[in-house]
Amino acid sequence: MSVALLAACGDAPEHPDEENNNEAEAGDNNGNETDNANNNADSNDGGNDTASDWEPENDVEYIAPADAGGGWDTLIRTTAQVIQEEDLAPVNFAPQNIPGSGGAIGWAEVAGHEGEAQPLFAASPPIILVPLTETSQYDHTDFTPVANLITDYSIVLVQPDSEFESIVEVFEAIEEDPQSVSVGGGSAAGSMDHISFAGAAAEFGINAADVNYVPFAGGGEAMTNLLGGHVDVVITGVGESTGQVESGELRPIAYSSEEPVEALQEAGGETFIEQGIDYTFDIWRGIMGPPDMPQEAVDYYENMYAEMLETDTWDEHRENLGWINNYQDSEEFGDFLDEQFDLFEDVLTEIGLVE
Amino acid sequence: MNAFENLLYGFEVALQPEALMFVLIGVVAGTVIGMLPGLGPISALALMIPITYGMDPAIGIILMAGVYYGAIFGGSTSSILLNAPGVAGTVATSFDGYPLSKQGKAGKALAIAAYASFIGGTVSVIGLMFIAPLLGRVAVSFGPAEYFALMVFGLTAVVSLSEKSLIKGLIAAVFGVMVSLIGMDLQTGTARYTFGTINLLDGVDFLIVALGVFALGEVFVLLKKKTGSLKQNALGSLKLSKKEIKEIAPPVGRSSVLGFFTGVLPGAGATIGSFLGYTMEKNIAKDGDTFGKGNIKGVAAPEAANNAASGGSFVPLLTLGVPGSGTTAVLLGALLVMGITPGPLMLEDRPDVFWGVIASMYIGNIFLLILNLPLIPLISKILNVPRAMLLSLIIVFCMIGVYGLSFNTFDLMLVLIFGLIGFGMRMYEFPAAPLILAMILGAIMEENMRRALQISSGDWTIFLSKPISLTLLILAVVALVIPLTIRFIKFIKRRRGLKRR
Repeated sequence: MSVALLAACGDAPEHPDEENNNEAEAGDNNGNETDNANNNADSNDGGNDTASDWEPENDVEYIAPADAGGGWDTLIRTTAQVIQEEDLAPVNFAPQNIPGSGGAIGWAEVAGHEGEAQPLFAASPPIILVPLTETSQYDHTDFTPVANLITDYSIVLVQPDSEFESIVEVFEAIEEDPQSVSVGGGSAAGSMDHISFAGAAAEFGINAADVNYVPFAGGGEAMTNLLGGHVDVVITGVGESTGQVESGELRPIAYSSEEPVEALQEAGGETFIEQGIDYTFDIWRGIMGPPDMPQEAVDYYENMYAEMLETDTWDEHRENLGWINNYQDSEEFGDFLDEQFDLFEDVLTEIGLVE
Repeated sequence: MNAFENLLYGFEVALQPEALMFVLIGVVAGTVIGMLPGLGPISALALMIPITYGMDPAIGIILMAGVYYGAIFGGSTSSILLNAPGVAGTVATSFDGYPLSKQGKAGKALAIAAYASFIGGTVSVIGLMFIAPLLGRVAVSFGPAEYFALMVFGLTAVVSLSEKSLIKGLIAAVFGVMVSLIGMDLQTGTARYTFGTINLLDGVDFLIVALGVFALGEVFVLLKKKTGSLKQNALGSLKLSKKEIKEIAPPVGRSSVLGFFTGVLPGAGATIGSFLGYTMEKNIAKDGDTFGKGNIKGVAAPEAANNAASGGSFVPLLTLGVPGSGTTAVLLGALLVMGITPGPLMLEDRPDVFWGVIASMYIGNIFLLILNLPLIPLISKILNVPRAMLLSLIIVFCMIGVYGLSFNTFDLMLVLIFGLIGFGMRMYEFPAAPLILAMILGAIMEENMRRALQISSGDWTIFLSKPISLTLLILAVVALVIPLTIRFIKFIKRRRGLKRR
């Protein structure tokens, strides 16, 4: 039957089975074999320094350091599809999942390809948060930022008939009696959703460590618990909550973008800033590469992604998935990552998860 | 529109030639994926997302749903023939399926699995059709306190799964809970029992333990008794006698309903459903003590339950827009990519998708039955493979399956370790079922207990103040007290009998 499956896959951009075989051979750290060496940019002979000459020669290993179905996986599969359909690169981008340890196993794999032009992988705030809580030996500075692509925002939800009318009321209730408000989120303590809520609470002026945060295994599970009235408030990503917000099953009381978002305004939501709390939080998603990636390759890929964001195919997928374009080139992305690191470190210190 | 008109509309969608073709492709692909350990429905669905891009969303979801329930349908085959569960939801099937196969009744076991799966699947579709929108409410009424109580209730099955020695069953169960706690703690982000390696941070996959303890453990036992040939049993008859049909009908019915409701609860799913079905029947049955030694009801119950649960898991996805399992999470992603937001509005916005996929499940289940019955004699030829080859084949099978989970060689070491543990357990007569059960339920129980206490600020009465949770806890106490009382009464009677003599 796998024959039929593969046949059905015929026009798909990926052959994960083959990819995985290559993986197995490449082993852990010394994957620098001749195939990969072809991809290195040193073949740029003759002192020709225009980077535009460089092109990938082999299929690009394109890694989501998580299981199928999550945010990284969706980003990898969607961009691979668009790159293929719009013919943006001479080779295929072959998606591959390397799940484990919140990303750390996939990162360790990429880190072994120092100085090479691939693999590329999907990154978002966990690449800063996971190392901060000391569960990965690699952190964002070990990898080469390629391009930041999209962003999502945090959203704070309550039941439609909740007593809370604004985020200020939530924070005031926490200030009065921290235990009286349970805040569900879709990720572990000290990771994205927790940080986002605690950061806003700190900005409001209450002790971030006082937030009674209840971690769930995903935004969906957290929202189910809010629907059932088991927690008072939930924080998750705007993208994950579209169905609930549009149908009016849950009511947004704050979200973390700089500018108001139309769909959320219609549902009665306001940004933190509109409610007098000077706070934004981006759930950004971008692409990164191995340590010391050749500059020519970085230039090539950042241009390719810039081009990709302009295509209609991308626009269609992006809209369906509720993503917002947020392009930054390699350098801007790198600076942004450093800022994020400082911000997260501060919040984690305040919560007491980092000393 | 009433449910019947809705269903007719759904059939209009599902009976288009294109839809029929993709249901067929889906269930065939699913069956094969289910048979191969390790290659689970989650990875298969992820691979299919790009294929469904250009499709009509209704057709795309029909295809993917077919793969999912097809995999649960097909997963019983390797459980029964090789003691190597193809997907996690079919572990309980191996408890009686494999003994039946050893007794030369593989054909019968496979046929029962197929019929029970078919009925379980069909019952769940009927449930989806009539009460899905109502059930969304039931699903959300389960919060952390209720899940904790449900898991406690589930764990009481350890008593009935313990066979000869309750103490050994409890030891196995405690070990199972410990294994389930390996990895990063969601509550605090602390690594537990990981021995400093990042490979254990995500915990130990359930299938690694199942394949190790069951399949590899069995291989080692067979290797040890060099002479004892792996009885080259015939396939046996596929036919069921009237008496047998009568015998399995009530368990199949009960387990289908139980499985469906278990599937509706986010996070519970096919695996827990199959265990609950199995232990319920074992407790009810008059011949409960023959469970685990090749009782046909022990195959029928979990198979009906796991297929019903796979249907039930569509309830939270389609009516609430929240995925209840890893597999439905991938489906959610696929739907979003196709521009459809599952949730309460979907029934109004895209009735073609909602009713189309439900109607296609009827058709898919019939396809599965028609396809699987004639395949049984063919597939069971694997039992005619010479012993030395078959044993090596099972080892290879397990290794590939485990490697396919996350492409991590560390997991290969783990499955070997669990194989040795399984071997030791068998040598010293520790039952394996309580270990597996506790491994599934332990982590969920612990996580939800701490969540509930976090919500209640450490107040333990939260478990008693909620009606569902209180009911489940009372049931748990009853489930513990009754078998012990019966044992005690028997014990007293026996002593009296002895004294009289």
